[in-house]
Amino acid sequence: MKQIHHISTPQPIKKTAGRLIRPAVAPRTRQDNFARRTFLSFTLLPVFLILIVTIALLVRSWPILNAYPLRDLLFGDVWKPTNGQFGFWPFILGTFWVTAVGVILAVPPCLLVSIYLAEYAHARTRSVAKPVLDLLAAIPPVVYGVWGLLAIVPFVDKVLAPLSDHWLGSVSIFAVNQPTGFGILAAGIVLAVMIAPLIISVMYEIFSTVPNDLRHASLAVGATQWQTIRNIILPQVAPGILAAIVLGASRALGETIAVLMVVGNVPQVPASIFDSAYPLPALIANNYGEMMSIPLYDAALLSAALVLLVVILIFNILSMLVLQRILRQKWDS
Amino acid sequence: MRNPTLTLLSIFLVLAATLSACGTAALEPTIVPESDASTSSEETLSGVISISGAFALYPMMTVWADEFHKLHPDVEFDVQGGGAGKGMTDTITGAVDIGMISRSIKPEEEAQNIFWVSVTKDAVFPIVSSENPVADQILAKGISQEIFAKIYITGEITTWGEVIGDPAITDEIHVFTRSDASGAAEQWAKFSGGKAQEDLKGIGVNGEPAILDTVIKDPLAIGYGNLNSIFDLSNGNMVSGIIIPPIDIDNNGKADAIEIYKVKEDAFSAVANETYPSPPARFENLATLGKPEGLTLAFIEWILTDGQQYLESAGFVPLTPEQQAEALAKLK
Repeated sequence: MKQIHHISTPQPIKKTAGRLIRPAVAPRTRQDNFARRTFLSFTLLPVFLILIVTIALLVRSWPILNAYPLRDLLFGDVWKPTNGQFGFWPFILGTFWVTAVGVILAVPPCLLVSIYLAEYAHARTRSVAKPVLDLLAAIPPVVYGVWGLLAIVPFVDKVLAPLSDHWLGSVSIFAVNQPTGFGILAAGIVLAVMIAPLIISVMYEIFSTVPNDLRHASLAVGATQWQTIRNIILPQVAPGILAAIVLGASRALGETIAVLMVVGNVPQVPASIFDSAYPLPALIANNYGEMMSIPLYDAALLSAALVLLVVILIFNILSMLVLQRILRQKWDS
Repeated sequence: MRNPTLTLLSIFLVLAATLSACGTAALEPTIVPESDASTSSEETLSGVISISGAFALYPMMTVWADEFHKLHPDVEFDVQGGGAGKGMTDTITGAVDIGMISRSIKPEEEAQNIFWVSVTKDAVFPIVSSENPVADQILAKGISQEIFAKIYITGEITTWGEVIGDPAITDEIHVFTRSDASGAAEQWAKFSGGKAQEDLKGIGVNGEPAILDTVIKDPLAIGYGNLNSIFDLSNGNMVSGIIIPPIDIDNNGKADAIEIYKVKEDAFSAVANETYPSPPARFENLATLGKPEGLTLAFIEWILTDGQQYLESAGFVPLTPEQQAEALAKLK
């Protein structure tokens, strides 16, 4: 109000002559500043949220981090909270096994699909295939879980396990030790289907960052489309493909309900893809309600959440950095 | 807003926000009388009782809530499942008035001012597929507690041949357990010689229906289930596809008549007259934060007296008169 007053009455300006006069700020400029600050604070909110979640988890898991050496927690392989044994190693390994199998199963078909969509497909095919893939991403995880329970677990039990036992039984990671169908492979198959839409859409974006000039030049000197893809485009996008895979992996790491319905939930160090495993998210989801009755259980589950959060943050940040660099190159060119 | 999808989306969001605001607004007035209820006289019971906890007790609680609501139309109920652990957490934090707990109350919980009272008996039974290759021998011989311990706790027994004492049969046992924290699993662990659910070996499947379904499908499976889930309550027959292996209680190497349960009534009376061992038979408990008062007290007292008549048809075993008197005395 003061400044408005200054503008409307010229006298004060005369009085203050010789001193530095503050330039008048119009209301619309202030509105603009206000809007910018408000929007900024909302934009910063997610950053603070990650910090707050991390700090909260750290505080809540402090009792157990204090009571046991970190090495015993992370690498201990016995999980008997009522006996005071809190080894996360089976869960950490379970998480990585399930994720690895899911990603290994998902990546080759995803790569083929995204190459087809980006390089070969007719615009009309693309306009049908892309929404269908998005639809696949919109199916709730619990539905995938039920599908896994009804279709994939029996399929692994009746078809894949006997096949693997017959042909690959001597290789330890393909040995069938717990023939029930519940296990890493079933969870991996379900995960592969769940993360495929994400990986395909990121890969598709990556392929479309390659300038058309490169394609035209290659085709103009007589290369076939496949030669162009293999020799020109794939080398260009290799880091982006890797980032898409890592992004898919971080989605797989955190997947909870669909995995826990088919993975068997046995806290053991898995030796084969047919073994049951117990990933970290399943541990938290299965037991969170029971936490308060046993001392340190609460802290143990929250430190499991902390481990998961840190791993996923690392994965995400890595893939974001790579993707950002590639997209920036695209804008620069 | 030229984009129609965006317009639709924003309309939807605004609608959703408005509706959810309505929802909370509508709830508030009904919550308020609850605090009055504890002070008002017993003749005009009114208010809301919120309950959460064990899935095992959930179907029973909905019956009780319905019947009590018929007697006292001004009393509303908010009954949720979520598992015994959730019920306990909610009760301790004051999020609900009553927690349904399908296991024994732990000392750590009593230390947090938890009051509890047993309202009914239930039991966990072992189940195997009716297609099991040695089903007949199992039904004839029974399975002793020691063998269950070797299957579920130590893992020494891995084939069905070892269960019935015939080494020629090498079919592997597919051991199934609950992955989600549950009272049934804890009772089963205690019966098998363990202490807690985490001591049970086996593939963990999520929820009672899933374990039942898995055992029906897998001829080599063994699992366990609650009384009311393994019998069809409408006709008293066992769910088709499973059998209850008799527990050889007296360790005489054969299944005696009182150890075999083919229809609901057999299992029911075995639990009621305590020929079925406990654990895996168990009391189902209700927990409150501190001793219950007012409306909550009236409801629990009603469950322990008039409410007992609804138990049997829902697949639960009523308390004996002594247990009933003991529970009522505890409330005073």
